Amino acid sequence: MNKTPEPTAPLTPAMFHVLLALAGDDLHGYAILKEVALRTGGEVQLSTGTLYGIIKRLLNDGLITERRERPAAIHDDERRRYYRLTSKGRDVAAAEAERLEKVVALARSRRLLKKTQLA
Amino acid sequence: MSRASQAAREVIMSDTTSGSSTRRFRMLLRLLPAEFRGDYGPEMEQVFAEQRAGAARHGDKMGIWRLWWETAKGIFTTAPREHLSMLRQDAGFALRMMRKNLGFTIAAIIVLGLGIGANTAIFSVVNAVLLKPLPYEHGERLLMLNQRTARGGGGVGRSSVPELNDYRRQNRSMDGIVEYHNMQFILLGRSEPERVETGVVSWNFFDLFGVKPLAGRMFEPNDEKPGAPAVLLLSFEYWERSFGGDPTVVGKTFRMNDKPHTVIGILPPFPQYPHENDVYMPSVACPFRSDPGLIANRQGRMLRLFGRMKPGVKPAQAEADLSTIAASMQRDYPDDYAKDTNARMEATPLKTELTRDAKPTMLFLLAAAGFVLLIACANVANLNLARVVRREREMSLRTAMGAGRVRLFRQLLTESFLLALGGGMLGLFLAISGLQLLTAYVARFTPRAHEVHVDAQVLLFTLAIAGLVSILTGTVPALARRTNLIINLKEGGSQATLGATRGKMRSALIVAQVAVSFLLLIGAGLAVRSLINLQRVDAGFHPENVLTMQISLDFSRYMSDKGMDASNRLMLGFADSLLAKIQAMPQVTSAAVSGEFPLDKSPAFNNQFVIERQQGNASSDIPTAEFNVVSPDYFRTLGIPIFSGRTFDGRDRPDKLRVAIINQALARHYFHDQDPVGRRISFDDGKEWTQIVGVSGDVRERTLDQTPSELIYLPYAQYPQMSPSLVAHTQGDPLNIARAAVQHLYEVDANQPAGHIRSLEQVRADSIAAPRLTANLLGLFALLALAIAAAGIGGVMALSVSQRTHEIGVRMAIGARPAEIIWMVLRQGMTLALVGVVAGALGAFALTNALKSLLFGVTPTDPTTFGAVAVMLAAAAFAACYIPARRAARVDPLQALRAE
Repeated sequence: MNKTPEPTAPLTPAMFHVLLALAGDDLHGYAILKEVALRTGGEVQLSTGTLYGIIKRLLNDGLITERRERPAAIHDDERRRYYRLTSKGRDVAAAEAERLEKVVALARSRRLLKKTQLA
Repeated sequence: MSRASQAAREVIMSDTTSGSSTRRFRMLLRLLPAEFRGDYGPEMEQVFAEQRAGAARHGDKMGIWRLWWETAKGIFTTAPREHLSMLRQDAGFALRMMRKNLGFTIAAIIVLGLGIGANTAIFSVVNAVLLKPLPYEHGERLLMLNQRTARGGGGVGRSSVPELNDYRRQNRSMDGIVEYHNMQFILLGRSEPERVETGVVSWNFFDLFGVKPLAGRMFEPNDEKPGAPAVLLLSFEYWERSFGGDPTVVGKTFRMNDKPHTVIGILPPFPQYPHENDVYMPSVACPFRSDPGLIANRQGRMLRLFGRMKPGVKPAQAEADLSTIAASMQRDYPDDYAKDTNARMEATPLKTELTRDAKPTMLFLLAAAGFVLLIACANVANLNLARVVRREREMSLRTAMGAGRVRLFRQLLTESFLLALGGGMLGLFLAISGLQLLTAYVARFTPRAHEVHVDAQVLLFTLAIAGLVSILTGTVPALARRTNLIINLKEGGSQATLGATRGKMRSALIVAQVAVSFLLLIGAGLAVRSLINLQRVDAGFHPENVLTMQISLDFSRYMSDKGMDASNRLMLGFADSLLAKIQAMPQVTSAAVSGEFPLDKSPAFNNQFVIERQQGNASSDIPTAEFNVVSPDYFRTLGIPIFSGRTFDGRDRPDKLRVAIINQALARHYFHDQDPVGRRISFDDGKEWTQIVGVSGDVRERTLDQTPSELIYLPYAQYPQMSPSLVAHTQGDPLNIARAAVQHLYEVDANQPAGHIRSLEQVRADSIAAPRLTANLLGLFALLALAIAAAGIGGVMALSVSQRTHEIGVRMAIGARPAEIIWMVLRQGMTLALVGVVAGALGAFALTNALKSLLFGVTPTDPTTFGAVAVMLAAAAFAACYIPARRAARVDPLQALRAE
């Protein structure tokens, strides 16, 4: 049975990007910002206020969690917290990606996209 | 590297190292909810520092500015969202808690609803009557003009036609001056003759007030020309009451004063002052006002004057301007003014005049309502406190889970705001329900009562009160928690200390409730004592078994063309015939006619007189007295004693010796120890003399709280030009003969409507209706306060007993008797109550002096009232404590110990 987990409210593009960033590795706040900027070619630039608004919601919805283990003290700043995608978060992100894929497929079938243009 | 980029680099480096940007960032963070800041603040700071360092590494000044811009934008969009989500969360949680503690919720909403309702209702009155500007155009520039001349007939403060003309011509401060007087005329042409209160006014009277007609037109200059066809304006209330609001009445013609009068318009509802009239007519239509003799007579002072100041003129300036004119009139016509007092004009803003009677009472009631609200708040704060005790575990758990102090404070405030909002809605409902009763009450003080509504300002007031209430009721328990947390951390959560802090706060709240209740009960007690004194005061007459009927004679049919004497004969004929028929009734023991009777609300009719052999005295004391004209049996009918000389009788007819009876107050004042009987007085400087034939007892003529004025009675037969009132003493209920008396009136004159028929006891009771209602309202507030305070004491003692069950069990196990346990609880509760009583008594001593003007025959610190209130409050507190005390005495020691 294919059960798609639902977050309490629809994902915003910014939230999806944060989930995507954490899909690769556990990251702290600044690293998430950099990752999102890097992966979108600088198109999506999250500010600290926006980022932590998103983190709070994702934590509340159980899509991400705070990682207990910390890196070696030498690399660490005690103010940093590391976030990890939960399996629920992974499912939600996957469901969102699938939804987007279907949208892209639809757009392609309506000839809005060229075959070579890959997402 | 260019010098510019070098400079930018330095700026950026200084920004990085100075820490000033960290401070700026922290200021931005302050926009976020405290809880959010607590959770993510340090981390956000750290991230921002790294972002900034990254930008600085590139030496990109624009980049740093962009970073600041993006960061600020992000926080400005995140902050409101976070605040809102927290509020939603708080409100949802609060609603769940309120549902869970339904008993508490309902009790709190009812208590607050009563407090807020009382305030909303009284505020709606204060707002409409005292705060809002008059509903007239340029209402703030309208003045009531009272002329002070100490000479001449008519009412106090009135002016004559020649004087009005002088004021109009010579003043420099007024936009306009208009005249007004009030008459009762008979309107014919409807199914029955109808007595109508008539305002007789200048053609531009309503223009001056800026009143526009609802239908038809207003008076025009032509309407006031001599010989103009008579026209009428109907007041809104009369039009609704008598014509059912039928607009086709405009243009219809009715007969009044033997002339056709055409209705030309309907007035809108507006506060009518000084009388609520049924119709208005221009001055030429009034047979008295249009009399050439009166128009030429400088002493014929029957007009009240109103004026509108020019823009920018102050009342004092207008008063000075008009007083100068009065002084010059006194110089030019010395015979028409008092010799040794300066004629002057008193100019009172119309708003002051309209609200003079209402102001002290309404402000006092507002204060009383405020006190009720304070008690309600203290009570709910106490309930809240008790609830916080029960929620200690929940609160500690939430603290442990990281909920900050601010967050918990906010949570408690949200809960009390929702309670206050519920109370506010209930209060609004109560206020709206009671508004009609309140308006009827306020109408006894001011013509502005019709303006009392629950409008946007009142709603705003209620909301503000609810906000205040939520802060008052929410902060106390929240503060108790704050203290607890600090102690909690220091002492590892010693429950004993926590209990003691809260116990003190609870006790303080109880003392406050009792003290404020004491104040309210004293206020109510003094008002009730005043009322009882008013009811018991010896007014100088016996109102029992007396029927009164105010008749408005249709003068147009009793004025003869053959001169004054012929008219007098017609009017006396009417009075004699009516009196003969009434006196012949088997139930009537005595009857009389009179110009007025005690407490009938007719205005005082003052005149000066001289005493034979005393005129020309250099004394500045010019004899002045009130007058009444009465038929022989007047004194017997009202039970007014004659102390010396005789009463009027059949000898005192029109062409016989002019006689007078004076009252004791006047005899004492002007004749000291001598017997005035046989002495002579004159009302026209000695041209004609009137002999004093008797001295009567003093009577409170105007109001029961005023000492009797000096009064001269003249025989009705010699001065029949006044509309007569009938007074008849009966065997049994006087109202039983009312119908037959009216029948006799119609037999004498079928076109003469019967006036206001009441028993003299009703008249007396009606004269103190306003203080009675005030006492009732205050009593209601005070009882409300007493009930809330008693419930508060009872509730706190019950809580204390339930918390001390274990201790009580131990005491009983080691041999304490139930009576000792009851005493222990009672002592605790009564100590609080007595401290409250003492505090309240001190407060009352300080505050009740403000009540002085509202009291009659009782001092503001009346020991009886203070004693009675103290006993009453103590008894209520005792009863409230006794219930939990008895429960404590019934504690089963075994169970109590096992439960622990």
